[in-house]
Amino acid sequence: MSRGIIIFAQNNEYINYAEQACACAGYARRSLSLFDEICLITNTETLAPNETLINEYFDRVIISDNFQPENIRLFKDTTDKLEYAPFKNMSRSEVYKLSPYDETLVIDADYFIMNDILDQVWNSDNDVMINSKYRDISGRHKENIEYIDNFSIPMYWATVFYFKKSDFAENLFTLISHIKYNYKYYYYLYNCSGNLYRNDFAFSMALHILNGSVAFDVPSLPINYLNNSFDLDDIYRVNSHNDVIMYCADAENVSSHILSRFKDMDLHIMNKKAIGRFIDDLLSHGEKV
Amino acid sequence: MSDITKETETSKEDLQRLEKALEFSNTMKTFNLNKNNLKVKTQNLLSHSTSGGSFTVDQSLISFMNFVVSSGKTEITLLDKNGIPVYIEDTEKFLDDISSLYFEVVNDYYNEYQKLKSSRKIEKVLEI
Repeated sequence: MSRGIIIFAQNNEYINYAEQACACAGYARRSLSLFDEICLITNTETLAPNETLINEYFDRVIISDNFQPENIRLFKDTTDKLEYAPFKNMSRSEVYKLSPYDETLVIDADYFIMNDILDQVWNSDNDVMINSKYRDISGRHKENIEYIDNFSIPMYWATVFYFKKSDFAENLFTLISHIKYNYKYYYYLYNCSGNLYRNDFAFSMALHILNGSVAFDVPSLPINYLNNSFDLDDIYRVNSHNDVIMYCADAENVSSHILSRFKDMDLHIMNKKAIGRFIDDLLSHGEKV
Repeated sequence: MSDITKETETSKEDLQRLEKALEFSNTMKTFNLNKNNLKVKTQNLLSHSTSGGSFTVDQSLISFMNFVVSSGKTEITLLDKNGIPVYIEDTEKFLDDISSLYFEVVNDYYNEYQKLKSSRKIEKVLEI
């Protein structure tokens, strides 16, 4: 059984996702050991200027130049800066076809693995594992299951998920792809909010449909909570491959921050500009191929 | 007149006490956030996967497994954290593995919690 970690990265004019993906790959390689390869799925435009760096951190690169419709997202860098830029996140539904591995762990290009818990996914009996529970490192939301809408279905976070080549996973990704191309219909059907196409929403809808459109439980990853740092937070310092100090936006006043240290704890850092400011540190603490 | 001066002096003291209390509330805010993050870390680390299933390791799982092993059962089927039945072929090894993990993770939590509790200076705790 081949085992691979896959990261997606497609640059826009605002963020160099390729170098962030390299940093995440470095952290994953440093903390996990039971996989065979780390693979980047990217497009030609992103690969060309970053090829040398990418080859240092990835065992394999897969090019996917599928056309991506405009998906404009608001990027926040704490409360200081706001900017709209295209968000190219629509190729994730293709991962089942693109993955060359029997078992695949997909992580976002801003998910930093800092312990070995995710090594426990390999050889699982479950065809798909994904988390609905998350926690906000700033404590603004307590231990939580978010819903797409108050009158809708539970939301699953497509930040990290595992699948193995199986009928269930193949059908799931077929549905995600269908939802992607008919997003408007499903957007209204499930009472979604915001204008952005979100993989989290598409995964949640597909899981709901695939499970017979009734209450269901999808096996969660070995981690109990996805540890989210939202874009109002910032990085204070990167100490090592498993130790980062964050500025956490205060729940009562998001423009002021509280320091908190994260050691041996995975972090989903959504403030892309913060990752960019610390990219050299993050790259240097990661392990290369 | 003298009463008014006294009142003003008392107010200043009250203000100082209030400032101190608010400062302490800031310290507590930082303490609580860091404590909660340690708690979540511990909950995430208390995970053990074997035979295709994932288990949340806690005192009740350890106690139950202790009962299983004491009863002389060498193999059992257990429900994992996703409610899926998982066959455990060596109960003694499973108990050893989850107990070691529990002691190790909770001991780390204790050490880090003590460090956090013993210092009111966040700079010291975070080694800034």
